[in-house]
Amino acid sequence: MALGNASTSRTPTASVGGARKGSRPARYSAFDIFRRGVTHADWPRSFNEHELKKSYDVVIIGAGVHGLACAYYLAKNHGITNVAVIEKAYMGGGGSGRNTAIIRSNYLTPEGVRFYDRSVKLYEDLAVDLNYNVMFSQRGHLTLAHNDASLRTMHWRAEVNKLQGINSSVIDAKEVGKIVPYLDVTDHARYPILGALYHPPGGIIRHDAVNWGYARAAGHLGVEIHQQTEVLGIETAGGKVTGVRTSRGNISAPIVVNCTAGWASTICDMVDVKMPLVTHPLQAAVTEPVKVFLPAVIVSGSLHVYVSQTDRGELVFGASVDPYPSYSLRGSLEFTEGLATHILELIPSIGSLKLLRQWAGLCDMTPDYSPIMGITPVEGFLVDVGWGTYGFKAGPVSGEQMAQLVATGRTPELIAAFDLARFADGRLVGEKGAASVGH
Amino acid sequence: MSASGNWRIAPQPGEVIDRSQKVNFTWNGSPASGYAGDTIVSALMASGVRVMSRSFKYHRPRGVITATFFDPNCSFQVGQEPNVRGAHRMVRNGDDVNAQNAWPSLNFDIRAANQVVGRFLGPGFYYKTFIKPQKLWPAYQKVLSTFAPGGAPPAIGTPQEIFDKRFVHPDVLVAGGGPAGMAAAIEAARTGAKVILVEEEYELGGHLRYGGTESLATLAALRAEVASFDNIEVLTDSVVSGRYDDNWVGVVQRSGIWAKERMIKARVGTLVVAAGLIERPYVFEGNDLPGVMLATAALRLIGLHAVKPGTSAVVFTANSTGDEAIERLRAAGVSIARVLDARKGENVTRALGRGQVSGVEAGDGSKTSADLLITATGWTAPTSLLNMAGDRPVWNAAGARFTPSELFHSSVMAAGGIVGDGTTAELIAHGRAVGIEAASRARGEAAKPVAALIPDAHPALFQSTTVGFLDLSEDVKNKDIVSAAKEGYDSSELAKRFTTSAMGPSQGKLEMVNTMAVLAEATGRDFQSTGTTVWRPPYAPISLGALAGRVFEPDRVSPMQLWHEAHGAKDMVAAQWIRPEHYGNPQAEALNVRSNVGIIDLTPLGKLDLHGPDIVKLLNLAYTNTWDNLAVGSVRYGVMCAEDGVVMDDGVTGRLGDDHYLMTTTSSGAGNVWDWLEMWLQTVHREWQVTITPVTTALVSINVAGPNSRELLSRITDIDLDPAVFGYMKVRQGTVAGVADCIVWRIGFTGELSYEIHVPASYGLHVWETLLEVGKDLGVAPFGIEAQRILRLEKGHFIVGQDTDGLTQAYEAGLGGLVKLAKEDFSGKPELVWQEALAGNYSHLVAVETVDPLLVPAEASQIVENGNEIVGRITSSRMSPTLKRSVCLAHVPASLSTPGSRLTIVLENGDRAAAIVREDLAFVDPEGVRLRG
Repeated sequence: MALGNASTSRTPTASVGGARKGSRPARYSAFDIFRRGVTHADWPRSFNEHELKKSYDVVIIGAGVHGLACAYYLAKNHGITNVAVIEKAYMGGGGSGRNTAIIRSNYLTPEGVRFYDRSVKLYEDLAVDLNYNVMFSQRGHLTLAHNDASLRTMHWRAEVNKLQGINSSVIDAKEVGKIVPYLDVTDHARYPILGALYHPPGGIIRHDAVNWGYARAAGHLGVEIHQQTEVLGIETAGGKVTGVRTSRGNISAPIVVNCTAGWASTICDMVDVKMPLVTHPLQAAVTEPVKVFLPAVIVSGSLHVYVSQTDRGELVFGASVDPYPSYSLRGSLEFTEGLATHILELIPSIGSLKLLRQWAGLCDMTPDYSPIMGITPVEGFLVDVGWGTYGFKAGPVSGEQMAQLVATGRTPELIAAFDLARFADGRLVGEKGAASVGH
Repeated sequence: MSASGNWRIAPQPGEVIDRSQKVNFTWNGSPASGYAGDTIVSALMASGVRVMSRSFKYHRPRGVITATFFDPNCSFQVGQEPNVRGAHRMVRNGDDVNAQNAWPSLNFDIRAANQVVGRFLGPGFYYKTFIKPQKLWPAYQKVLSTFAPGGAPPAIGTPQEIFDKRFVHPDVLVAGGGPAGMAAAIEAARTGAKVILVEEEYELGGHLRYGGTESLATLAALRAEVASFDNIEVLTDSVVSGRYDDNWVGVVQRSGIWAKERMIKARVGTLVVAAGLIERPYVFEGNDLPGVMLATAALRLIGLHAVKPGTSAVVFTANSTGDEAIERLRAAGVSIARVLDARKGENVTRALGRGQVSGVEAGDGSKTSADLLITATGWTAPTSLLNMAGDRPVWNAAGARFTPSELFHSSVMAAGGIVGDGTTAELIAHGRAVGIEAASRARGEAAKPVAALIPDAHPALFQSTTVGFLDLSEDVKNKDIVSAAKEGYDSSELAKRFTTSAMGPSQGKLEMVNTMAVLAEATGRDFQSTGTTVWRPPYAPISLGALAGRVFEPDRVSPMQLWHEAHGAKDMVAAQWIRPEHYGNPQAEALNVRSNVGIIDLTPLGKLDLHGPDIVKLLNLAYTNTWDNLAVGSVRYGVMCAEDGVVMDDGVTGRLGDDHYLMTTTSSGAGNVWDWLEMWLQTVHREWQVTITPVTTALVSINVAGPNSRELLSRITDIDLDPAVFGYMKVRQGTVAGVADCIVWRIGFTGELSYEIHVPASYGLHVWETLLEVGKDLGVAPFGIEAQRILRLEKGHFIVGQDTDGLTQAYEAGLGGLVKLAKEDFSGKPELVWQEALAGNYSHLVAVETVDPLLVPAEASQIVENGNEIVGRITSSRMSPTLKRSVCLAHVPASLSTPGSRLTIVLENGDRAAAIVREDLAFVDPEGVRLRG
């Protein structure tokens, strides 16, 4: 596991069985629910608490979907289980619990498309893999175009997607109206819907379930998740990582993976690795539940809004990141006003629906809107950061690929394009076209 | 289940109903009635309705519990409006009120079968099942989604109602019109402060309204005092929805004659939060049966609406409010079957009955028949607005409730019951003291503390058994929290998310504290370390309509738009503007420009008027090229790059005088460029003297293009058009069609001899019509955007945002010649220095000819190598009417950029087509003879 070089490796075709120290998790199935219902037997703990050990093979900072998935795949695919996931608050409490849970792979660059396609495939099998229903609903994803410039971008994305084997095409306003009758597809709207990029495999997922499913499965394979444990510093010697100082004591570890968002550059500063990141809040909001009427995920780049309806009946809204850098998790009134204005332009009949709650998360934006993954100038210090507004969609594939990097010491092909060095070498991977409210 | 009959009692001293005005409405399709002033719920209760809804998960019958806006059981469908808070909304004639979550009917709900299987529907049960077979999940999911709670969304086509907004700047805004809030408003107003007093209910008074004769007398005096101040504005049926940074406060005004709802945005000097207390439900077996009610609910129904809530009551009381309820129930004719006093160690463990309370089991096991069970077990301080100002409430063990900390911002103060307890007089006194201090802080004086009220000792009562309902709107039981904690979801956030407790419409106002208590007990932690979750805005739900306000999206059109439409223009939306795409035949329009003369309305072109001695410095910073030597009377083309070297905008800027320039930008970039320039001026170079005035809509822009353009223009202007004195890239000012002060410059986006005229907007149509009138013999005709796009493509001119994208740096767009790296500094320079050093090793914008001349590949068609490897794309593509063949621009890698390179294009149908990279970007007139003629 020498992590100083940048050679590439391919994804292993079969998972490598490893020493499984953990206990066997309780099985989740309809039958087991029935059995425990009848016998009133308690479900066992899904997550165990541990004393912090003096040393680990790998320390992962951040128990969001990226950190938890990385830990899970380290244990499952590579048999590396002496792993600690360090979390300053509670698991899944950052971006992983604050996103709007949209999953898709209709990106703009070939690198992005390949990468997110792998993520969608992992998500499709995740419930069975983790024995935890993550409630992935592939209900279809519509990116609306309101002017010819955005229609052109949709065509561009569709062409790139098709060549990569992604189910994605441009449809006209009439077809949009057939899929979502509530949308105003008439041409007397102020910004008429001219068409949409339609991506049937896209959809929404229960984000908490993904976080918990990974945590539970990783824990049972022997990984330790330490919540309420803050990283205070990272120790190095001779350009190599040697350990981590935390609010609960010091740990020695040869490999530290930074899987944080919002505080990614703060963590990198601890080892003097400068990250080209600017942190912006991204706000979201949810309405009171009403009976289900929105069958697909709707995104409008021109109107800066996206919306989907959960199985619980709530409309979940999001928009673009706030226009200024900030670490504030407080929502703003103007955000909800803009959101409502644009939603009513798309769906004019729902003015009486009520907004119930708003919140914000933090997004670390990179200059090219693609993430930063892989090795850094400090040996043993790896990053999986800079996810901007895409982090949750990429959770499984990032975890899988970072785990492979840790285990093999070589950068997997799928993430080679996202290395930190690209900013110095001029190999940007431009996802901006799919990013401006591209959820 | 309903107990029909008349439950209205004799007139009460504080009742808010008008018995002389009957209100007729329908309830689940049947006729029903009440009085003006009744809420939907009080009218239903008066006619004996007890079951108001079915619950979300188990479809259990539910009745009134709090009788307030936040009653979790009293949301109704009223006509097309879902989730109407029926214990708050006044009933109106003709309302079509229906129960929610009930199918096929409120009394017989098939999904109540969920109760039978309830033991299997523990917290997170859906995470544990439907996993295999994977293929069936979409089908399961469809079924699950039919269980979504709430009302029906308004039908498609439901007209938008009128919503409005208002902006106010009070010195003091008081949230809560109870005794403390009224007192605070009065004292603040006495100092001369401008005060807004916001009350959630329909009238001021808070709990005094249903507190008996003495309270009513006090209330009358307070109301009179409030009314005596002209500088207090009272907003009733209004709620403070949120407090944001710098005391930016949102108020939703619900009822008004002018709009359904109004969002009031207030910049407040001092915000006084006098939200009072919310009575907390108690958790025990059967605590969700209709007939189980809070003491305040009974007091409200009796005192405000003269409705008797039942016939025989058991009262479980731990405080004076419960004691008061006993007296008031008795006076209303309800027999008191038993009093259980928590202060004497008595308890209630179970409400008996099916679908309605029929009896109560006490802690000692004894049973009492009753149709009402009233609980008075404690209070929750609604610290939401304080949280939004930084407060983190602390657990007051003696008072058994959270109280505000001292952490919140000094521009926010808390008054009255939310802080602590006291007699009415003490609450008023506290309010008065806070009001004086609030006004003082609003005047900018240093903050001084106000003595806090202390919560009275109160028994800590949360749950008596572990099988009750903790969150009625989410159907979460207390044992669900215990299971969640056992499964490892043992922090407050995880437990809340896993069980969804406190995630429903009341957002924790009723259930948060009980949830914490159950979790603390399950995990063996104390209350404070179990924590509280953050109350997020808004405090109360706000309709999307109120947030949006009036839909204000003006159509942006040029003054000639009506002319265009009258002359057959087909409109398009481009960069927020509605403008002519063409007038019927874009190909013919383009040909006419090449052979005769055409005119196009370019009004949307961004235009910035620049004045000041330092304009050249600004231009040198913003554009990549040099501006030091632009003479008065000349124009120059420039490209702006962002700091990453990516092409951001382009346009022509002309020098009109020594310190006066006119800059044009792309239509879609007009706003961004203005922002961008102001950003540099206001944050980096504040010493530069440049004034920027956006004049996009003040000037109509008309381009006259084609070989006959000089002749045409010469007929209506006093400007000397002789090419010897008015050459290419020059600007002149003069009279056009009798309109003075027109600016005319010679440029050529279309590749033809052309003049761009900027005319004061109100004369635009006149100039436009004059050009068409005097040029008939010259073949003049209007042309639209589509013809312009064809013409510029034939000429090989690129469009920012179409032939460039979010990553295209200047050299990649073929603009290297315009990048002057020798300049001291300009936006994007470091990146461009570095790109230049790559010596062409980047992607290139090239002109491309398909081998089949009649094939027009779609824009965005991909260019591939080695099968499906994407290496570039077609950015622009049209059939050229001039050349009778297709013309394209494309981005290709360096390896394919040399003239003659053969490209493979993937067509929309998947076929491949061959194309060749051309020598020159321009297909027509590469030497520029026509342009400069």
